Amino acid sequence: MAALVALVQLDAAKSGKPSLIAVAVTSVAVWTQSAVAATASAVGNAGATIEEAPRLYADNADLRARNDALRSENDRLREALAAAPDAAALARVAARQDGIAATTIGYDPENASRTITIDRGSEAGVRRDDGVIDDDGVVGRVVETTPFTSSVLLLTDGASKVPAVVQRGRWWGIATGTNSRVRLEYVSQDARLTVGDAVVTGEGRSFHAGLLIGRIAAVDHPEGALYQSAVVEPAVAFGRLGRVLVIRR
Amino acid sequence: MNRLAPADVARTRAFWAANKPGETAAPAYVPDPPVWWHVALALAVALTLQASLAPFLALRGGTPPLVALLVAWYAIRTGSLRGFTFGLLAGAAEDALAGTTGAAWTFATALAGLGAGRLARTWLADMPLALVPGAAAFVLGRFGAFALVLQLEGRPLALPVAHLHAVLWQCALASLAALVLPRAFPALLGKRH
Repeated sequence: MAALVALVQLDAAKSGKPSLIAVAVTSVAVWTQSAVAATASAVGNAGATIEEAPRLYADNADLRARNDALRSENDRLREALAAAPDAAALARVAARQDGIAATTIGYDPENASRTITIDRGSEAGVRRDDGVIDDDGVVGRVVETTPFTSSVLLLTDGASKVPAVVQRGRWWGIATGTNSRVRLEYVSQDARLTVGDAVVTGEGRSFHAGLLIGRIAAVDHPEGALYQSAVVEPAVAFGRLGRVLVIRR
Repeated sequence: MNRLAPADVARTRAFWAANKPGETAAPAYVPDPPVWWHVALALAVALTLQASLAPFLALRGGTPPLVALLVAWYAIRTGSLRGFTFGLLAGAAEDALAGTTGAAWTFATALAGLGAGRLARTWLADMPLALVPGAAAFVLGRFGAFALVLQLEGRPLALPVAHLHAVLWQCALASLAALVLPRAFPALLGKRH
């Protein structure tokens, strides 16, 4: 049996596809992981709610007042939009409808690589190299799918490389993971990068252009080097990923 | 298994100290396999905890090595061959849940189980405190094997290098567990000569 397991694993590692063991384990684990993730999330939310109740009460009154103001403004803008629809905005919304909503249910058990497991796999239409985003920006890309789950390589993993553009000057670079942050590398020396510049995806294998990666936190501009680089603070909070959207390229 | 005479035990230790394991060498830990479904349940719980709560349980990046400790414990209780086989299965499950490590944890955990099972037959049983550095060595050795297998698979060395500091924290957690658990639950390690 040991030899069989070893052979199956070796064969899968060589082919780069999930082994039968991986398919079986993830298909069973998706249920328990979903339950544990939901429970942990509920417990965390309940604790946070109790802790923040007094502040929430004050915020609630404030937000009600602002909501009234925003609602009237929204009505006015809706009327304006109906009169002159923004074609680009409508196209973006239409593109998002192709996405597959998923929930984060697991992480690398050894925390060695920056990967997450989501509860949608090939049965739901997720494919290798699909991009994954959440409300804040780019999360990563799908590196492996099984029938009911997928593994997503986070933007911060050392093996993650995404074509990126500094939004202000359209300077190109490669966003590479450093385990905790992202480093924008191979940026032309004549680019005038500044702290706070937004970095978005360039057109690539997994993403369309324009999705927010993060903002520049520090610039490394060495004299005499061919390229400069920058440290990018990711827009996404990778420590508390919940709902994500798999986008088909 | 019958209790050995002190002279036999001393002879066994002498064989191992000289690194010449003779055929008459007797084990220090008597094979004492736990109930199989206890082990299966413990593995399922350890895998679920690690895979679902890893970032929340992590101490400076190092998750409590529950699966590794379980394999080490099973190897001590059953011997090197079973330790190897159980390590293979537990590692395969870890690779399945990690998704990006190929078969690296499979072989690393199997080799670590083999080593723990073999050492448990010798001086580990004579010195309970040896379990403390032993647990750290187990986690570190397993990680070394993981890095080696990744290299053999043609993957970059950047992953294990970046993860090394977290593994040192895992070693500390494993040592703490090896210090506390056998004292809290003496029956955990099974029978000894």
